Amino acid sequence: MAFEALISSILLWFGIYSILSLSLNVEYGYGGIPNFGKALAVLVGAFTAGAVVNRILIAMYSIEGTTITQRSGFMKSTVDSIIASNPAYGIGLLVFTLLLAGLIGAVIGALYILPSAKLESDYLAITLLAIAEIMFMISYYNTDLIGGYYGAPVPDVLAFIPGELREWAFVALILFFTLLTYLFLERTLNSPYGRLLRAMREDAVALQFSGKDIMWVRIKTLAFSSAIASMTGVLYSFYAGNVVGIVNLFARVNWTFFPFLMVLLGGMSNNRGVLAGVFSFVVIWRLLDGYKHEIADLLNLPFDVNWLQYIIFGALMIAILYYKPEGLVKEKPIETEPIKELKSKHSEKA
Amino acid sequence: MGVLEGAVTYANLLTLLAIGLTLTYITTSVPNFAQGSFAIFSSYIAYIVYKLFNFSPYFAAPFAILFGGFIGVVTYLVVLKPLIKREASILILMIATLAWDLILLGMIGIFSESLSKYFGAYISRFIFPYYLDFKIAGIQGIFFSSTLAIALSLGFLMFLLYKTKFGIAMRASMENPSLAEIMGINVETTRLFSWFLSGAFAGLAGALLPFKQEIVQATGQIIIVSIFAASIVGGLSSIYGAILGGYLVGLSESLITFWLSKIFGTSVLVYSKAVSLAILVVTLLIIPGGLVTIKWRRYLWRSRR
Repeated sequence: MAFEALISSILLWFGIYSILSLSLNVEYGYGGIPNFGKALAVLVGAFTAGAVVNRILIAMYSIEGTTITQRSGFMKSTVDSIIASNPAYGIGLLVFTLLLAGLIGAVIGALYILPSAKLESDYLAITLLAIAEIMFMISYYNTDLIGGYYGAPVPDVLAFIPGELREWAFVALILFFTLLTYLFLERTLNSPYGRLLRAMREDAVALQFSGKDIMWVRIKTLAFSSAIASMTGVLYSFYAGNVVGIVNLFARVNWTFFPFLMVLLGGMSNNRGVLAGVFSFVVIWRLLDGYKHEIADLLNLPFDVNWLQYIIFGALMIAILYYKPEGLVKEKPIETEPIKELKSKHSEKA
Repeated sequence: MGVLEGAVTYANLLTLLAIGLTLTYITTSVPNFAQGSFAIFSSYIAYIVYKLFNFSPYFAAPFAILFGGFIGVVTYLVVLKPLIKREASILILMIATLAWDLILLGMIGIFSESLSKYFGAYISRFIFPYYLDFKIAGIQGIFFSSTLAIALSLGFLMFLLYKTKFGIAMRASMENPSLAEIMGINVETTRLFSWFLSGAFAGLAGALLPFKQEIVQATGQIIIVSIFAASIVGGLSSIYGAILGGYLVGLSESLITFWLSKIFGTSVLVYSKAVSLAILVVTLLIIPGGLVTIKWRRYLWRSRR
């Protein structure tokens, strides 16, 4: 594997997983909501791109075909050639899909957390996992919905960029969205809302006594974070050119377990920590993946290195939980204006 | 294999797995996401033993049981006990079992692929073909052997829990660990033993499962959702609940999808797991404690008046 391709894949996955992990951090790190069905929000993104926007485009260009997979393929070649000559169309399509995914993600996220009115802790986690699994099962086996195991091609929104630069253009695009998400969440979570979430994580009952409607906070939080996470699904689908990377039966590992690993590795309720966690994970992951044939040849392994990956990441997770439960970067108290004032007075005295 | 026959066989095995999950939930209060992989790893062990001795696959069952028990003990000692000592929350323990499940999946993959190379045959995906099984009155032997397996396991469990001193100690430490400890019971031993039993039950189920369905490396990840559904429908903290839930989910998973397939065509057959997941979600929302927490007697009494 060429070195350049390795770097671009590290940066790309860093961007994608950063957005996803930052949104998980809002739910789990700050809010304490055990969202074991995180993959569902990513599926919503893939669904928006592959099932909703694809159908709109197919209807617009009245494309004929037998299955959604086939029609999407024909539509992709038509739309790609339009985007190649008209960059604004591609950017417009991207922005439209992202906004639509955010909207659908917010609605689904709000509905999806409703069981938390009756359940909490492990029961809630199992329920959320089960809901996400059902949705994945239906979208995987039902080939009429979003192509199922055949997948559904999606247009290349950056078709106007020449082939050899496409990879880097996508890296730049995704990193741009990562930066936006980071800055946005940094501001949001340092507002009273972030403190509200932490309070809910620490003691939900006490929060109810101070007159907050916890259910409403949870609904808002899930709507907000799922909207962000579904954008990950859109960005990844557009990058891969197909939704098949999301709609598969490995979703539980790729889109739920790995984000949890990154959040816990980096440090909960701490955006900078999460970025550090994502970066360390992605570097190890891409190196193992990029050099897997070399590793297998070198050590003369009689099996696929992917299996070794599972063991390494599983063991890494347990090691973090055991040795470094607070993660790479510890959670810090939120610096509100009064605290800042107090601190500056303190330093003046000293 | 007839539909009902297959459904009962599957329900027997699912119940065996659900009892194991419930057992460790009662003693350690961890919902164990690796239960499915316990069984599948044991299936591979059974298959290897069968390949080595080329004898009936039933002969391999004891090895699978012991191996399952061994993984159970390792899970508790290596993964959970250190975390419990650090007073980790249930969610953290759950994440740890998810991670452990991933490790087991990796090990299953390495084990099966290395042995494929060693035997010079493809063993990553296998099934015990029907001619290896015995037949009584035209019914496949697995129907009887799985029924026998669940009967023996339950009989053993009930004898252990209600007729032996160790069983009383186990029940005491399930009910109230700190009180049991004061009475001089070593709660650690009972916990460890419950993990052994849970693993052994999973191992037994794993040894018989290849008669019923094809085994691939990720089968554990797929079957775990049914196990959870079975345990929770009955009530996660009751062994009777696991038996009830195991049969309810096991039978409905096969039979409901079969009936649906008669109405909507065979394309719905792939959604069998969605049936059990839907049952799971509905149960959690309506009766989170499971079927055993419903006071049936009260309803009966009311209707009689």
